[in-house]
This record gives sequence, C-alpha cells and structure tokens, in this order.
Amino acid sequence: MIVSAIGKPDRAQHLPDPAAAADAQASSGPAPTSGLPKESGPGGRRTETGAGSFFLAVLRNKPSFAFGYFIVALVCLIAIFAPWIVPYDPMNADPSQYLLSPRWSHPLGTDSTGMDIFSRVLYAPRIDLTIALIGTLISASFGSFLGAITGFYEGGRTWRKFSSALVMRSADVLQAFPVFVFAIALVAVFGQGISSVIAAIAFVNAPIYLRLMRSQVLSIRKMRYVEAAYVSGASDLGIIMRHVIPNAIPAVLSQLSVNIGWSVLLTAGLSFVGAGVVAPLPEWGSMISMGYQNIVTGQWWPSIFPGLALGLTVFGFSLVGGSIEILADPARRRVLAGTVK
Amino acid sequence: MRHPFDLNDLGVNRRTLLKGGVTIAGISALSTLGDGSAFAADVNTLIVASPQTPQGLDSEFDISLGTVDAVGVLYENLIEFAKIPDPKIPGVMREDTASYPDKPGGVNAVGKLAESWEMDPGAKWAKFTLRKGVMSNWGNELTAEDVVWSWHRKFELGGVGLFYLSTLGLTKPEQIKAEDKYTVSFAPDNPNPILVRIMANLFTHVFDATKCKQVGGASDPWAKEFLRNNTASFGPYVVERLDRGQQAVFKARPDYYRGKPFYDRVIYREVPTSAARVSLLKGGAVDVAQFLQPLEVIQLRGAPNVAVDTIDATSMLWIELNAKMKPFDNKAVRQAMNFAFPQEQIIKTVFQGLGAPLIGAMPWFYPSFTDKYWKYGYDLDKAKALLKEAGMEAGFSTTLSYNAGDPVHESIAILYQSSLRKIGIDLQLKKYPAGTFYNAVSERKEPVIFYQDNPWTPDPGYAMILYFDSKSFVNYSNFKNDEVDKLLYQIARSSDEAERVKMSQRAQEIVIDEAPWVFIAYPNYHWARKADVKGFTYYTSNNIRFQDLSKG
Repeated sequence: MIVSAIGKPDRAQHLPDPAAAADAQASSGPAPTSGLPKESGPGGRRTETGAGSFFLAVLRNKPSFAFGYFIVALVCLIAIFAPWIVPYDPMNADPSQYLLSPRWSHPLGTDSTGMDIFSRVLYAPRIDLTIALIGTLISASFGSFLGAITGFYEGGRTWRKFSSALVMRSADVLQAFPVFVFAIALVAVFGQGISSVIAAIAFVNAPIYLRLMRSQVLSIRKMRYVEAAYVSGASDLGIIMRHVIPNAIPAVLSQLSVNIGWSVLLTAGLSFVGAGVVAPLPEWGSMISMGYQNIVTGQWWPSIFPGLALGLTVFGFSLVGGSIEILADPARRRVLAGTVK
Repeated sequence: MRHPFDLNDLGVNRRTLLKGGVTIAGISALSTLGDGSAFAADVNTLIVASPQTPQGLDSEFDISLGTVDAVGVLYENLIEFAKIPDPKIPGVMREDTASYPDKPGGVNAVGKLAESWEMDPGAKWAKFTLRKGVMSNWGNELTAEDVVWSWHRKFELGGVGLFYLSTLGLTKPEQIKAEDKYTVSFAPDNPNPILVRIMANLFTHVFDATKCKQVGGASDPWAKEFLRNNTASFGPYVVERLDRGQQAVFKARPDYYRGKPFYDRVIYREVPTSAARVSLLKGGAVDVAQFLQPLEVIQLRGAPNVAVDTIDATSMLWIELNAKMKPFDNKAVRQAMNFAFPQEQIIKTVFQGLGAPLIGAMPWFYPSFTDKYWKYGYDLDKAKALLKEAGMEAGFSTTLSYNAGDPVHESIAILYQSSLRKIGIDLQLKKYPAGTFYNAVSERKEPVIFYQDNPWTPDPGYAMILYFDSKSFVNYSNFKNDEVDKLLYQIARSSDEAERVKMSQRAQEIVIDEAPWVFIAYPNYHWARKADVKGFTYYTSNNIRFQDLSKG
C-alpha cells in the first residue's frame, strides 16, 4: 500500500473532523496505518513476512479465495509454459485423427480437423489472457485516468464543468450500447483479428473504470491530506498522481480482476459468432463454436472441454476479484484479520 | 391524490390485465399450433424443415434455396426428364439425364404442359404443341400466349432470365412465337442444340399470362409485385401464405391437370441450424429435414421411424483460384495447389464418405463427362517440384475465404492450411458471414475462395460454359483459355451430338490441366424423412417436389 506523505487517515470517514481525529489519537495510540497484525519490528513497522503470513492465513481460512488464486495461478502458468508442455502442435490438422473420443493418446479427444483438444485447451490461455489483460489494462488505465481528472475537476469553473459533463455523457452513450453488439460492430469496422478484439474490450470497459474512479475521486478530493497538499503548493496533476489515484486504486484493482474474467468471456463470445480470433488459432470460444453442432450427433468433447476451462477461469478471476475487494480495504481487512486469527 | 384520469374507472386493473393477458397468450399459442394438427384426420399435411423460407416467389429475381423449392412445386414446365430408378438406392427415382440423339430434342423427356415437340435436325428451331384444357389456379386455360409472355418477361425484366436467353442465343422477343393457339416455337439466331432440354430446367416454367396482365395493369405489366408473393401458374400447388423467416404454406390444387397431389398441404418451416432440423425429425415434429451435415446423416441412420438416403448429386464443391491475382496466374502454382490438397482424406473425414472426389469439371453422370484426364492426387513432392518450376520454391502467403454458414468449409480450410504449410505456403483463413459470402465470390476480389454449385441442365456444353467460358458471369475464377472459348462457342451451336461430346471432352482435358480450381468433392444429396414418406425423385436442381411424395 502506498502511504501518503501526510499519513493515512481512516477511510471509513469521508469528512474527518479535527476534533474527532484528535480524540481518536489520544485514546488508541498512533493512528492505525493498516489492518495487519503487527509483528514487532523497529519503530513498529510491519514487516514483509507479516504480510505474507497473513495472506497465507487468509487463504487457509477462506478456501474460496484459495481456490480462486489457485486457478488464476494455474492458468497463468499454463499460458506461460504451454509451448513446452503440449503434446501436439495445437494448429496442425491431421485428418487421420478425425473426431477421436478421449483416449490415452489424446486425453481430451480431437476435433473435426484432427487437432488435439488437450493441446489447444492448454494453448488457448495464451491468446485469451493476452487479449483480456491488454484490453482490460488499456481500458483501466485510460478510463481511470480520465475518471480521476473528471472527478477531480467536477463542479469547478465553467469550462471544466462542461468538459467533465461532456466526458460523462459520452460514457453514457458508450454504455448504452449492448456490449456484444458494440463489440461486433467494432470488429466489423476494423476486421477480424486479435487487435480488433482488444480494441472492443478496451472500448466497452473504459466507462466502467471512468465511473468507478470518478466516484472514488469525488470523495477522496475532500480529504484533509489533499487539501494539505494543495496548500503546500503541489500542482493539480501532482496531487492527482501522488495522492488521489493511489488511494482510489483498491476498488479499481478488484474491478480489474473481475473484468479480466469477463473479457475472456467476451473474447470467447465474439469468437463463437465468428467475429473474434481467426481460425484455427486456439481460443476457447472459437473451439466451442467449431464443435457445438457435433454435440447433437454425440461428439461432445470438442465443445465441452473448452467450455469447462473457460468457465473455471472466469470463476477463478471472479473469486480473486472478490478477495482483492476485501483485502484492499483496510476496514474490511481488519474485520477479516479478526476472524482469521 | 386521485389522478384526474383513473384507469380503474375503465375496469382496467391488475387482475383484469392479468386475466386478459393470459387469454390473449393462450389464443395466440393455440393459433400457432398450426393448421396441420387440427385437420390431421382428413388432410394430408407434410411438414418440411428447411434452412430458409423463400425470400420471393418470382424466379426472375430470386434464386435462393427456399425459392428453388417453391418454384418446383408452384410452377410447371413444358417437359421433364423421364424418371428412372436410382441404380444405388431402392425406392428413389432420378431423372434420365443421358443423351438420346435419336429422340426429338436429344433427350428422353416426358411431356408436361407440352404434349409433343419437335426439333429441327439442324437445331435451328424447336416447336412445342401444348396440352389442351389445362387450367391455371385462376381458371385460365393454357395457351401458347402464356409461354410467349413468360419468355418475353425475361427480355423485359433482365434478371435471371438473361442467362437463359443468352444460353439459348435468343436476342429478340420475336424469336419466340405463338404459331397458333396451342403451338409455340423458338428460333434463335444460331442453331442451338439445347432448345428442347432447357425446357426441363426449373426456371423456364410457364406463367398464367392472362392473370398476370390483369393484376399488373399498366403500372406493372409484368406483374412483378404480384408474383413476388403469389402464384399464377399451371402447377400442382399454390401458395397459401408466406411468412418470410418463419414458414411458407403450400396448398394442393384439386384441379391440377394431373390430379390432386397426395399431400394436400405442405408447411415449409425455416429452421436455420441443421442440428435443430435433425432434432425435429427425430422427435417426429417434421416429416422431412433438408440439408444436413454428414455426421448427422450417419447418426440418423440408426434413428427409429426415420429413413435417410444419400444420393449421387449434381453438386460440386471446389475452391476458386483467381487467375487474375498472383501467383495464381501461373499454371504450375495452380497445379501444385491441387497436388497439395488431401482430397481423399477430406472426403473420408469431413464428408464421412458421403460424397465422391471431384475428378472432373461437370457432374459425373452428365453426358460427355470424362475422368480420363484427371491427373492430380495427394503428392507433396510433385507439389514442391511444381512450385520450384514456377520459381516459388520459397513458398508464398495467400488468403482462403470461406463461408461461416457452411460448416464443412472451415474444416476443409484448416486441413488444407496444415497441408500447405508442409510445402511452404502460408494460408491465412478469412471467414465471411453467410450473408456476404456470395458477394465476395461474385466480386472476384479474393485470391482463393470456396464455391459450390450444381449445373441444372445435363448437356456436354451447359456446365462447361457456365464455369469456363471467359464471358460467363459464373466463371468466378477468371479462367480464360482461347481454345476452350472456341470449343464452347461451337458446342453451343452444333447439332451434331457426337461432335459436341468430342469438343466437350477436349475442353475438359484443357480445364483439368489448367487447374483453375482446387477440385474437392461431389457432395451427396441427403433425403432424410419419416420412414413412411415415399416417392422421392432426385432432380438435377437439388430440390424436393412435394407433388411426387405420398405416405406409404
């Protein structure tokens, strides 16, 4: 956690009252800087091992979080090491291996062009996660920054008020479109391919971060430390970058994780309707689309396995997002720490 | 505070709205249960699941799947090919497409609206004598004027009919003449050997001109608006209703000149996915399911109360190699593309054996077909050698476009991509949505693109002219060969059938050698129906004519 130069007041209060703060100070010692149980170290600083062991304790006690982190870690590892662990070339079609059911030589079977499904399911995260990560990071950084600026200047002088209203109404328009339809339209304009899907994800998600950041900033800018920074002569941009955004980040982080999972789903959905990645790039949605008609004729494996992988991955990211939401908020973290110990 | 206008005063409150809503929903649900079930006892109804309803009923402007099926049951031709039993499948009939130089017109035909015909030995004219007393669905008698009007319509409207006019070499409306009340003659500029057999082609049917002139009046003399949604014909069925995107309902005519067909009513339902059509057939909700995937056909074989036959068809599937785009302007490269194509494996896997390898340039049971010039097969070494000969030893990159709406395209494309990789050719795949795919084909802007077609008229020249005459609209590969053009020009004008066969085979030899296509397969036609539906005849136009069917 980035600690501001002035010291972090308790964020549960939006309008700190100097008298109340002084009372709190007097009764409970130094203002709590974090909810972590303190290991004794020089000056009462919390140590690295303290954070780590707390995290492990949380995982032990909250199996859902552990499961989520495990899935996400597994998927990331698979994405990184796929080229070394897959038994077959995921894009080599071999007609002699046509639609084989799961067996030792092909643990998850083969599809209608003879490609090994196990290799493709393992290879797909490279594409899915790359697209989801890049798209979400672009939308998060762009949307958050714009949201911070908009929130910081809202209600100000005329041209600023106008520009922030303009930004918000544009976000309204962007969010009014059904997401999927909008994504398909973008792909139709830019052509099929990875960059189009990334652009689609970035576009449709940016307003979310815009609003999230803006609402966080609207409350943070009223904090005393922001006022103090202003009084001490920091520039607007300096205040935004050094005090406002870092304190608003936790909400964005938790949204980020859920959003990555959701972006994987959007990529899969676009590929399913043929507007996503180009065949035969291994991608869960495109694999489901190639195989779904065969389910009726009894060959269920080309669609079901990628579908399971997709569902599990999105679930994992959602769990991680839920855990970040709790761990990043000092008040809720303190509550959690109480139950964990 | 009371509202100035209170709905409660009108008796509209939550309870009445709920009651009324349920009633309306119930009535509309009942009404969509369909005409079939209520009248099942005394009306024979056939329910067909098809990919698409007819978009329009006027064959001049619409050649979609649904329209082809509709025209086959709503309209009547002058003649049809005699039916012979299919040599492979008991219970199925097919058209006799062989050449009969001794018969009038050179074909073994049966009269429909025409009771007799004759053709000039030099093929300069053909005369048809019409059956007397044939009534249209509007009560008008068939006369030569109806035939003349139907052909003049092609001149005036300039739609699909233009193809037939140019194929027959008809340049002036006066060349189609009503000799007397029941005799009509065709006399094109040049001798044309297919004058008689073209009259069996689905889109050379006859309209009820009297009714059309009546409804069109001065503002629409060719009845374009009327014929889009209505029938004015001498055929066995009329259209009762047409709900585009949902269903079309055809009703049998009790006064059809050959007697009322067995099925009084045909409900033609649009069910876009083949998997859904299979489910409906297996569940007994439909009697016929059209256009299924090979795996679905195989699975249906074991289903109770369902019968499925797979029939030799005129369909041909190939990949166009655009001769106007490098490197496909080089014959050696085109031949290499053929040697690198795993044809046999694809027929075994993607088609599950329900098709034959395409080893010629026209349907293999058409007159003059020969496979003796076929020289390709899966041979990567030969392909590499040819690429070297063309100076493309290092390989090259190109794009294969395919139809998202046809599942076999993607599988074949991916298999071909893997195979081409082995000889250094990088094939990028480009997916076109079904709605825009045919535009991409006809615009000829893609270097490599799939195409499937079936030439309707069995003839040494017809199919060849369609795909290989440099001036043909359907020659999507931009194939141009002067000798072939000359041969095809002569085939279209010669009355010597033996000569025509020789010329056609020479043209086929050149075409195979030039390899304008990557030859894939002859996909079979699948006849999937409830076990008690009988009487199917396979037509070269690949459509079902419900008037043939009965329950047995």
